[in-house]
Amino acid sequence: MKSFTTLLVLAGLAIASCSEVIDRSPQGEYTLDNFFQMEEQAVQSVNAVYNQLRQWQTHVFSFIGMTDIVSDDSDKGSTPSDGLFLQEIDEFTLTPTNVGPATVWGGYYTGVFRSNLAVERIPDVPEMDEQLRSRLIGEARFLRAYYYFNLVRWFGDVPLILEPFPEGLEIPRTPRDQVYAQIEADLRDALAVLPASYGGVDVGRATSGAAQALLAKVALTQGNFQMAADNALAVINSGRYALLPNYSTIFTEAGENSSESIFEVQAAAFEIGGGGSQYNEVQGVRGTPNLGWGFNRPSDDLVAAFEPGDPRREATILYVGEVLPDGSAIVEDNPNIDGERFNQKAFVPDHPGGNGNGPGNIRVFRYADLLLIAAEALNELGQSEEALTYLNQVRARARGSNASVLPDIATTSQAELRDLIYHERRVELALEQQRWFDLVRTGRAAEELLPLRPNFTPGTNELFPIPQSEIDLSQGALTQNPGY
Amino acid sequence: MRHIYTIALLLCGGIATAQTTVTGTVTDGSQPLIGVSVQVPGSTSGTVTDFDGSYAVSVPQGGDSLVFSYIGYQRQAVAVGGRTAIDVVLDEASEVLEEIVVVGYGVQQKSDLTGAVGVVEGEQLTDIPTQSLGQSLQGKVAGLQIIPSSGTPGADAIFRIRGVGTLNNADPLFVVDGMILNDISFLNPQDVASVSVLKDASATAIYGARGANGVIIITTKQGNTTGPGQLTLNAYAGGQEVVRTIDLLNATEYATLINEADVNEGRAPRFADPEQYGEGTDWQDAVFRSAPIYNLQLGFSGGSEQGSFNLSANYFRQEGIIEGSEFDRFTVRLNSTREVKDWLTVGNNLSLVYNTSDNVNAGGILGSAYRADPITPVRNADGTFGNTATFSSTGNPVATIFYANNESESYRAVGNAYADVRFLDHFTFRSSFGLDFDYDRNQNFTPVFEVSTIQRNEESDFSVTNSYRRNWLWENTVSFTNDWSVHHLDGVAGITYQDNFGEYLEGRRQRLIGEDPSFFYLNSGDPITSVNEGGPRGGDWGLTSYLARANYVFDDRYLLTVSGRLDGSSRFGANNKYGFFPSVGLGWNVSQEDFWNDGGLISRLKLRASWGRTGNDRIGDFAYVPRVASGLGTVFGREPVLLPGSTVTALANPDLRWEETTQTDLGVEIGLLDNRFLLEADVYRKVTGGVLFSAPIPDYLGAGAPVRNIAEVLNRGLDLSASWRETRSSAFSYSLGGNLSLVHNEVLRLDGEQGDFFAGGLGVGGQLGTNSRAGFAAGSFFGYELDGVFQTEEELAQFPQLGVQQLGDLRFRDQNGDGVINADGDRVVLGSAIPDAILGINGSVAYRGLELSFDVTGQFGNEVINAKKMARFGAYNYERSFLDRYTGPGTSDTEPRITLGGRNTETLSSRFVEDGSYLRLRNVTLGYRIASGLTDRLQMQTLRIYVAGTNLLTSQEYSGYNPEIYNDTVFDNGIDRGGIYPIARTITGGIDITF
Repeated sequence: MKSFTTLLVLAGLAIASCSEVIDRSPQGEYTLDNFFQMEEQAVQSVNAVYNQLRQWQTHVFSFIGMTDIVSDDSDKGSTPSDGLFLQEIDEFTLTPTNVGPATVWGGYYTGVFRSNLAVERIPDVPEMDEQLRSRLIGEARFLRAYYYFNLVRWFGDVPLILEPFPEGLEIPRTPRDQVYAQIEADLRDALAVLPASYGGVDVGRATSGAAQALLAKVALTQGNFQMAADNALAVINSGRYALLPNYSTIFTEAGENSSESIFEVQAAAFEIGGGGSQYNEVQGVRGTPNLGWGFNRPSDDLVAAFEPGDPRREATILYVGEVLPDGSAIVEDNPNIDGERFNQKAFVPDHPGGNGNGPGNIRVFRYADLLLIAAEALNELGQSEEALTYLNQVRARARGSNASVLPDIATTSQAELRDLIYHERRVELALEQQRWFDLVRTGRAAEELLPLRPNFTPGTNELFPIPQSEIDLSQGALTQNPGY
Repeated sequence: MRHIYTIALLLCGGIATAQTTVTGTVTDGSQPLIGVSVQVPGSTSGTVTDFDGSYAVSVPQGGDSLVFSYIGYQRQAVAVGGRTAIDVVLDEASEVLEEIVVVGYGVQQKSDLTGAVGVVEGEQLTDIPTQSLGQSLQGKVAGLQIIPSSGTPGADAIFRIRGVGTLNNADPLFVVDGMILNDISFLNPQDVASVSVLKDASATAIYGARGANGVIIITTKQGNTTGPGQLTLNAYAGGQEVVRTIDLLNATEYATLINEADVNEGRAPRFADPEQYGEGTDWQDAVFRSAPIYNLQLGFSGGSEQGSFNLSANYFRQEGIIEGSEFDRFTVRLNSTREVKDWLTVGNNLSLVYNTSDNVNAGGILGSAYRADPITPVRNADGTFGNTATFSSTGNPVATIFYANNESESYRAVGNAYADVRFLDHFTFRSSFGLDFDYDRNQNFTPVFEVSTIQRNEESDFSVTNSYRRNWLWENTVSFTNDWSVHHLDGVAGITYQDNFGEYLEGRRQRLIGEDPSFFYLNSGDPITSVNEGGPRGGDWGLTSYLARANYVFDDRYLLTVSGRLDGSSRFGANNKYGFFPSVGLGWNVSQEDFWNDGGLISRLKLRASWGRTGNDRIGDFAYVPRVASGLGTVFGREPVLLPGSTVTALANPDLRWEETTQTDLGVEIGLLDNRFLLEADVYRKVTGGVLFSAPIPDYLGAGAPVRNIAEVLNRGLDLSASWRETRSSAFSYSLGGNLSLVHNEVLRLDGEQGDFFAGGLGVGGQLGTNSRAGFAAGSFFGYELDGVFQTEEELAQFPQLGVQQLGDLRFRDQNGDGVINADGDRVVLGSAIPDAILGINGSVAYRGLELSFDVTGQFGNEVINAKKMARFGAYNYERSFLDRYTGPGTSDTEPRITLGGRNTETLSSRFVEDGSYLRLRNVTLGYRIASGLTDRLQMQTLRIYVAGTNLLTSQEYSGYNPEIYNDTVFDNGIDRGGIYPIARTITGGIDITF
């Protein structure tokens, strides 16, 4: 009997002492239940939206393939057998299983999700600075607009998802006009709440100027020239931006976050890593010594596109044999380089952390781009005279002190000027991931690409295929673009 | 009538007052038997025998008989007939029929079992030279599939019981001497006394939420309580080599095909004269080697009636067949038990393990050996490594091995201590506290080197990871056993708690001040490059459980088992924290019936049926709540700084509930010819509902997939085992056994609809290789069916193409006949990694001291995706099958024109799906037991020497190393991406001595 009593006591102890083993919560991390409780967490959630800009899926390999390589500005580059999916993109033989569209699709929608979460939750963060609260929501909406802008330009109709946890997993595509309407709404909201500039450790965040400039480009893309001109001129007339005197400076460290910069993806090569991107590496000089992978080789067509003596050609194209922008001569007279030319705008000097830790900011939007948007929109609105001033500002800066090249444009023929502006955009913004969108937006993709790429199928290849895996996983809620 | 009388007696027991005391001794004929249950049927009176086998029991008036029962012996009823002294000799239960089977929270006589339990004795486990118990179990139990999926030294095997009933981790639960574990890599097979494989719900429901994948119960060796102490020594040593290599091209063939690919793709051929390169380098030969394997075991055991102990020490060393890999393990085990009082016994089972390993990146090395061009030498004339990047854009695998310095060490302690308190005659209370603790350290050093632009390291780099994990289990159970008249009842009930937690710390620095191992510490690196990581790892979960089981046996003929477990798990949200898992089992020993003719052909017949429900909780911890990932920092500022960023990166499912498997089992056990021939067959049907999985979700949702209850999976099949054992004379005996498992696996329902469910990355452009659509086997391979090769322009015009194709490209079948080849309508099931049948055959012949034994294993009806052949991101070497390429009309209708990559290779089609069936001579052992005359002179009890060969012969269609390609989840099964460490063929010689 004594032992039986012992048993009862022990059993009682057991029940009493251990019932908490199943009541646990994650250690060393927040959950959504206890996050978004402090101002600092709101800031961090928006920082995480910016973080996605720097990632491989968003602004690196496939991104370059689907902006430059797919255009007439560049070829795949690297060695013939490396990165074959980019060759398919370059030659328009890609299918819905091509890894390029699938990669950016995932990368941009990750950015959208993080934006949506910030937009949904920051309003409910207790006790935070109200100005900061609205600024952070504005930043998240700006970034959401940017992510959707590239998605809609690549894929046409895309699922327009505006909340982090939508009902159901199967979401159909939203007509492109509605996507654009949402992008505009986000940008207008951002424009209203974002500051014109930042100081200290906030330099690089989205500004009201960036929101308005992007609004101009969104309008231009839709052919709404009045809205494009209005917004572009508003930014120009704000006087906050100016062209750098020297074109080649833009792409050096000194050009980062300069007066010409409207929006850049910020990157830095810290000793311990964590701040770099592979944007520079994938386009870096390939060979021995190894500075990169050698993708995005400037095409013959691009080389020929520059006017005689245009200094921008040298600033854009890195030829094997030339002295590099940082003064090093490692590719000079070096037989161990794979390829004859590279994207000089992506060149970065030696930096800590290896090639994969590239420090170069990705110049998403700079003032020269905006001036050319203004010029193009004004010309389309019949204000060719006014358009010329903006066009010639860009040419004058490019020309620098060499008065014998790149003369001012004087024609006021709308049609002639249109082509000249198109041409100016091409050479000014070459290898800055603008060309493809410009070709498609202006309806010139077939005309410009067919002579170079006989596989280009008009009516199909202006859009990329919806990734097959997405169609599969959506249980067929997504439809494929025509022709794929 | 008799039962009514019994019940009446039970009811009236309290009235009877007059009683006598009967005393006596119980023996097995020579030795006293301790702990024999002595019961007076129809009363509450009873006792157990003491250390001398003696007993004293009160027999109330009306008590006319005593029933003596003891596990392993035949139950015996003796009429009292007024005697006060009764000595009894119990007969051992006949060999097989009364086999004792270890089940969950207890033991049972095999004849009383209602569940499907496969048993392997320890001595059947030591033929295969391995440190892994799993590998020794292959082919031994029907319904148990063992996959030695990796040949990495020290690697454990994968276990699957009765198919794959989940899309999650399908590993069974392991119970070692009562300690519940998720892996048994620490176990030394030579310490194992028996393995019980619990297959049906009647057996597994007592493990509730973790029983759905089956349960493996392992009992380690205990010391004998009788006889003199023993000292045993077992040793073996041998050599291993790779079982087979992949047929790749030599240098001349390579150059020829690459030239042809260049021309096909519109480039100038790159090699001037292919013949000049001759045979070139055999990269597989360069990375594989013959490697030794050793094992030494010392055992000490002994005991007396008051207690026993078993102490063993083991050293195992296996060098890997890939250069640079090695595994060393030291194991010590101490199992002891001691009776402290006549009502109290205490004991412990403790295992201490220390192991070290030199690790190689098998995936990288084998991937490179597969891809590297045979033109480049391993080393150049000047001693530097050949640059395989130039042609084949891959690393030099020998250099990868040379520059690798990755070492691990691990300490593990697994054990429990328990106290048994016997009370009220029939009850035993046990409290057992168990602990599984491991501490691991891994270090990695990479020196500065440069082999090629893609194989180099600019700064020396050192990282070290320390981690620990602990898992404690406290179980409190009360067990009960009683026999009265023709009735037997036993049961167990208890409350258990289990708690698992682990943590890791990792540090990394670059630019070490020296490259010698004495500098392999963080403080040798440049502090400015310091990075550290840490946090919980290894599981953060707890379980609270309530369990109960009762077995009732009527007259040895009719059997009933009822069991259940209520499990509460921290892995589930508040609404679904607890799950209840019941089972019921019925049995009928037909051959115990009076009408059964004992002398007939059929000496034994038993029928069993069971039904029950079990669960699977093998999902990540905290999957019910969205977690916030940090480390998503962003750079800002003119002087750039990294600002912290955090957000949710994966979705969660607050409505998670248990994955529930409902299983029905019908079994028959037949013994023929005096039980020399035994046959056991079970048919079962297992339906798992609410299968938990973080199935891929569309990327447009922008976050990782949540774990959802998404599917219903069926496994039905047949487990069949048969054996023939005969001892012709004391000099000659033989046995032959076999087991066959047939499994049909099918996804019944998916997310409530007939949708596709793609998974299983192929490593080729994000392509997914499997589709688990309802009606298919889970993880079915899904792609295009090959219809031929476009031979002529006419065919190009006649047949639909996938995109734009040309002459010599693969022609895929237009399955839906819509005149277009596209992913939507033309992909079909091409196979599955789940075998239709698994076979094991074991046999032995003994003549005097000589014994020859063999094991054969095989599996049939499964397929493999040769995904490594699909991934071509450079001018990689080709498999020999590419030589049969299309070079013009009529040349080949199966192999396309040669290209470096492109759609012909990068699209999953039946071209890459190969037959995964195999039949393997798993082991042959020839042993000789030295005659007793000699051993007596050497003062030994036994002395045996043997030679053994493992994986000697394999018949397989698959072109890769081994078609047994399995992983944690069903989606990775059967996809050969080229990184699996191949298994070895091993020859060993050994000696076993008992003093």
